[in-house]
Amino acid sequence: MNPLSPFEDQLASLLPRLRRFAHGLSRDPADADDLTQATIERALRSKAQWEPGTRLDSWCYRIMRNLWIDTARSRSRKAVHEAPEEEGLNVGEDPREAIEATVDLKRVMAAMTRLPDEQRDVVALILVEGFGYREVSEMLGLPIGTVSSRLVRGRTALLAMVGES
Amino acid sequence: MNDDDKFFAWLDGELAPPEAAEMEAKVAADPKLQRLAEQHRALGAQLRGTFDPIAAAPVPERLQAALRPPAQVIDFAAAKRARSMPALAQWTAMAATLAIGIFVGTRAPQGTDTPVEAQGGKLYAAAAVNQALDSQLASAPAGDVRIGLTYRDQAGEICRTFTARAASGLACRSGGRWQMKGLFAAPEGQGTSYRMAAGMDPNLAALVGSTMAGEPFDAAAETAAKAKDWK
Repeated sequence: MNPLSPFEDQLASLLPRLRRFAHGLSRDPADADDLTQATIERALRSKAQWEPGTRLDSWCYRIMRNLWIDTARSRSRKAVHEAPEEEGLNVGEDPREAIEATVDLKRVMAAMTRLPDEQRDVVALILVEGFGYREVSEMLGLPIGTVSSRLVRGRTALLAMVGES
Repeated sequence: MNDDDKFFAWLDGELAPPEAAEMEAKVAADPKLQRLAEQHRALGAQLRGTFDPIAAAPVPERLQAALRPPAQVIDFAAAKRARSMPALAQWTAMAATLAIGIFVGTRAPQGTDTPVEAQGGKLYAAAAVNQALDSQLASAPAGDVRIGLTYRDQAGEICRTFTARAASGLACRSGGRWQMKGLFAAPEGQGTSYRMAAGMDPNLAALVGSTMAGEPFDAAAETAAKAKDWK
């Protein structure tokens, strides 16, 4: 066997959460897992840049979000007019299929994919991943006021799309 | 902070006690705000209900595997320290370069899609490899060419590793072009698998380890270097 070193070990324990964030960012489940894999590979390669004693989770989330921006940019150049179909959410190895999805949950998922990228990442980081405003502001290199106003816009738009429940 | 931001900061537990108490009282006195708070709490619960099962689901094997393969985790610091046989690594690199150079030269007529071209006794990237080195980021989805690491060598030039169909290699900037420093054929049977890019060829890893100054670029540094034309 090949035991994991402490760094890899911590990374392994972060995998489920990183994967959840990837699914929050990406419209497509297969893309989300590709993004997670790319994040692990990048984190392993950049291991020396992580300062022990600082939060590994924030560091990994930042890597993932930056990789996502790169991919999303190159993709939007390729397919500007290919709007995602909501039905497309059910394609592929989707862990979400295993859920007894209620109409509400589907609606939330679809609404998330319609948010602008810069609102979606803040919404996912704070409302799903449970980070604080300050942590997200440091993670994304944004003023805290920007984080807070993107969050307000994102959640207000989400609520309008999901409707009252 | 405007009132909207303050209301939501309160809802998220982000307000300091005196302000929080103030907002608490304001909401208690305003049925509209109460309703808004309820709606947004429900939205938060829906969001977590939607995404939490993903974190609770088993992690796919390929993601767990990404953490494990020994070849994939290259400790460059250790590689640098272990520079006991740099001459051998260089020699191997040159021999492989020569082999591929000959291969390319005999198999494909000049001017076609060869990924390498010779000029003044040196080999430079051409065609798809050149294009990828110029414009592709490591995070790009795998096409014919996949970019690996980007870093500065000890002469201060930017170098990038790449994987093409049946080979991986290292090219560094020289006179505004990508000069090939090494090209290594993939082991038999792995020629068509892009996944091999995950585990760097040991010869290539040695070459990288012996030339790199500092650390490999992260995504931001890579993007910035591209914007400056790899200078």
